[in-house]
Amino acid sequence: MSGPDRIVVGYTANESGADALALGARLAAATEALLEVVMVLPIEVRGGVIPPDTGYERYVKERSRTWLAEASATLDDDIAQQLHIRYAESFAEGLIEAAHEFAASFIVVGAARGGLLGRMRIGSVASALLHSSDVPVALAPAGAREVAPAQGVTRITAAIGTRAGSSAVLEASVRFARSAHAPLRLLSLVPIDLPSGMDEGLADLASSAHADEVLAEAQRSLPAGVDATVVTATGATIEESVRDLEWHAGEVVLVGSSRLATPHHLFLGSTAAKMLRELPVPVIVVPRTTTP
Amino acid sequence: MTQQPDHLPPLTEATRAVDGAEHGITKKGLSAGAVGLIGAIVIGISCIAPAYTLTAALGPTVSEVGVQVPAIILVGFIPMLLVAFGYRELNRRMPDSGTSFTWATRAFGPWIGWMAGWGLIAATILVLSNLAGIAVDFLFLLISQITGNPEIAGLAANPLINVTVCLLFVAAATWVSYRDMQTTQRLQYWLVGFQVLVLLIFAGAALVEVANGNAFDATAIELSWFNPFAVESFSAFAAGLSLSIFIFWGWDVTLTMNEETKGSEKTPGRAATITVITIVVLYLLIAVALIAYAGVGTGEFGLGNPDIQDNVFFHLAGPILGPLAVLVSLAVLTSSASSLQSTFVSPARTLLAMGHYGALPEKFATVSPRFFTPGYATIVSAVVASVFYAVMRFLSEDVLWDTITALGMMICFYYGITAFACVWFFRKVWWRSVRNFFFTLLFPLVGGVILGVLFFTTLIDSMNPDYGSGSNIFGLGLVFVLGMVVLLSGVVIMLWQWWKRPGFFRGETLTRATAED
Repeated sequence: MSGPDRIVVGYTANESGADALALGARLAAATEALLEVVMVLPIEVRGGVIPPDTGYERYVKERSRTWLAEASATLDDDIAQQLHIRYAESFAEGLIEAAHEFAASFIVVGAARGGLLGRMRIGSVASALLHSSDVPVALAPAGAREVAPAQGVTRITAAIGTRAGSSAVLEASVRFARSAHAPLRLLSLVPIDLPSGMDEGLADLASSAHADEVLAEAQRSLPAGVDATVVTATGATIEESVRDLEWHAGEVVLVGSSRLATPHHLFLGSTAAKMLRELPVPVIVVPRTTTP
Repeated sequence: MTQQPDHLPPLTEATRAVDGAEHGITKKGLSAGAVGLIGAIVIGISCIAPAYTLTAALGPTVSEVGVQVPAIILVGFIPMLLVAFGYRELNRRMPDSGTSFTWATRAFGPWIGWMAGWGLIAATILVLSNLAGIAVDFLFLLISQITGNPEIAGLAANPLINVTVCLLFVAAATWVSYRDMQTTQRLQYWLVGFQVLVLLIFAGAALVEVANGNAFDATAIELSWFNPFAVESFSAFAAGLSLSIFIFWGWDVTLTMNEETKGSEKTPGRAATITVITIVVLYLLIAVALIAYAGVGTGEFGLGNPDIQDNVFFHLAGPILGPLAVLVSLAVLTSSASSLQSTFVSPARTLLAMGHYGALPEKFATVSPRFFTPGYATIVSAVVASVFYAVMRFLSEDVLWDTITALGMMICFYYGITAFACVWFFRKVWWRSVRNFFFTLLFPLVGGVILGVLFFTTLIDSMNPDYGSGSNIFGLGLVFVLGMVVLLSGVVIMLWQWWKRPGFFRGETLTRATAED
C-alpha cells in the first residue's frame, strides 16, 4: 500500500462522536496514520413525504462544517487529519464508502448509546456497521474521549477462538502491532467456545489441552521477528473471564467476526458481542476475510 | 448549488478545510437527481392531503357559498398559482430554510420579514392542531366501525378524551419528525394511491346513490355550480376563496422542487401540472357528488348542517358507503399522518432560520447532531400546537371549523407578503425579459393583491359574531379574535425580541437586497 495508513472516524457532534474521534486520534498517533474525519449526512429525499429543501440542506451542511472544525480544533496539531462531509442513505453506508475511497485500515465509531446505569450497549450505528462492513471496525467505548492520545497503544490483544476467522484476526493483529510498535498478546477463548452441555470434567480437559494447542499453533504461525505472550481465558462465562484478565489502559483488543454468507446472520458472533459488553478497552472487530 | 449566496456567515479558515462541496462522491449524495416525476407528484399530493383537506374544508366552504363550491375550487386555484410562481422565483434565487421569513426580510427589512415568518409559523401550527383534531375523530370512527360499536365514535366528542388522544398524536408525530423517520417512498406511493382511489370510490358511490334515488337530499347538478358570479355576495365569495386557498396549500412544493427533480428540465412543471389536475378533478368530483347526495340544507346529513360541517366525511361516509365507510376513515387517517409529517417540517425550519439570523433565541437554530433535524424548533412547534388545540377545544365547540377559517386568513397573510416580497426583490430586473415581467412582476403582484384583499375582507367580516361557526367572544367573531390574538402576539414577541436582540432588527444579520441580474 502506498502512502500512510488511513483511519476513518465516523464523527457525530455528540459524546459518542467525541469517543470515536479520541480513539481514532490515539490509533493514528500510535501508527502514524492519517486521520480521515467523516461526517455522514442523510440524503434528504429518501422518504416520500417531505419535499426536499435546498436551503435546509445547505444549512445542515454549514452546521456540520462548523462541528467538524470545532472537533478538529480539539485534536493535537501534529495528528495529520482531513475533514470530510459525505451524503449517504445511512451513517454506516457512508462510512463504508468513505473507507473504500480512502483504502482505510479501520473505521472508528462510538459504540455507546447512552446505556442505563453505565452499562454499555452497542448503538444502532455501530451495530449497523458490524453487520455490513468489510473493513475492520473499531468501537470506542463510552469514556474513550477521556483517554489522552499520548497514551498510545500499549498492547494489542488478539482474541483467538477455534472458529474460522482467527487467522484474519491474527494477521490483522500482527500488522497492527508492527505499525503501532506495541507488544502482542494472544488470548485463547477456546474453553468458553465449547458447546454447552458437555461433560464438565471432559470439557475442562479437552479445552485446556485444545487451548494450548491453538495458542501454540498461533504462535508458530507468527512471522519471524514477532513475539507474543499467550494467555488462556478461564472462567465459567465470557463475562467472568474478561473481568478476570488484566488490561492496560492503552490496550486494544482485536476480535474476529463470525460473518456468515447467509443473510440475517449477525456479523458479530455471540462470543465477541459478550466480550464487547464487558471490555473496558476499545475493540476492533475484524471481518473474516480482510482485504489484503 | 452553483452560487454561494452572500448572506451566509463567512467560512472560517478551519471550516474551509472541510472538503465535500465538489467532491465526486458527494455529488451522488446531493439531492440533485433524487426525485423523479412520480416521486414529485406523490410528495405533492401527500403534502396537499386531499382526503384530510376536503373533510375539513368542504363544510365551511358550503356554509359560505352554498352550491357554488365547485366554482370556488376552480377560482381558488388562481391566486395560489400566481403566488407559487413568485415563490419559485425566490426559491431559485435565495434557497433558504426560512423561506417567507428570509425572503420578506431581504425585500422589506426585518420588521415585515419577522411578521411574515410569524404568519407562516402560526398558519402551520394552526393546521397541525387541526390535522391532529381530524385524525382523532377518524381514529375513533375507525375503531367503532371495526368493532361495530357506534358509541365509540361519539367518544371523540368528549373534550377530555379528545384532547388527550390528540396530544398523543402530536407527541407521536413529533417523535417521528425529530428522528426523521419518514415513510419510505414506496410505502408513500401506495398510501397516496390508496387515498386517491378511496376518494374516487366515495364520490362514485355518492353519485350511484343519487341515481338510485337513495340520496339524503338529492340535488340536481347544475352548470351554475361552476359559476363564481352566482355566489350571493362578495363577502361570501372572499370567505370561500380564503378557504379554498387552504385546500391548495402545499401544492407549491411541487413547483419549488426544481433543483431536486431528475429527468428533463420540464419535470417540475410536469409534476406540478399533473398534481394540480389530479387534485382539482378529485375536489370537483367529490364536491359535486356530495352536494348532489346531501344538498346544502341543514337536515341531518345536509352539508349546511353546522353539526357536521367541520368534518363532513366523518358524518357522510357511513350513509353513503355503508360497511365500506371504513375505507374513508383509513384514507383520512393516512392522509393526515403523511400531512402531519410534512407539515411539521415547515414551522420548525422557519423557526430554525429565525434563530440562526438572530430573530429569535439562538437555541432555535439547534440541529440534532444525530438526526440532523431542527430538534429544538420541532419540539417548540409541537408544544405550541398542543397547547393551542387544548385551549381551543375547551373554548369552542367548533374548534376545527374556526381554526380552518383562521388558517385561511393566516395563509393569505404570509403568502401575500411573500408575493409582494418577490415583486419588490426583483424590481430592478422586471423589464429584462418577457419572462421576468410575468414571473417576477405581474403574476406575484396580482396574486398578492388578491390575497391581500381576501385577508382584509375576511378580517373585517369575521368581526361579526355570526361569522364562521358562530362562536364569539364578547360579541366579536371567534375567527377574528383568533386571527388578531395570533397576529398581535406576534407583534408583542417581535418587540420583545427587538429589545433582547436588536442586531437582527438593525439589519446586522440579514441585510436588505435586490436582485441585480
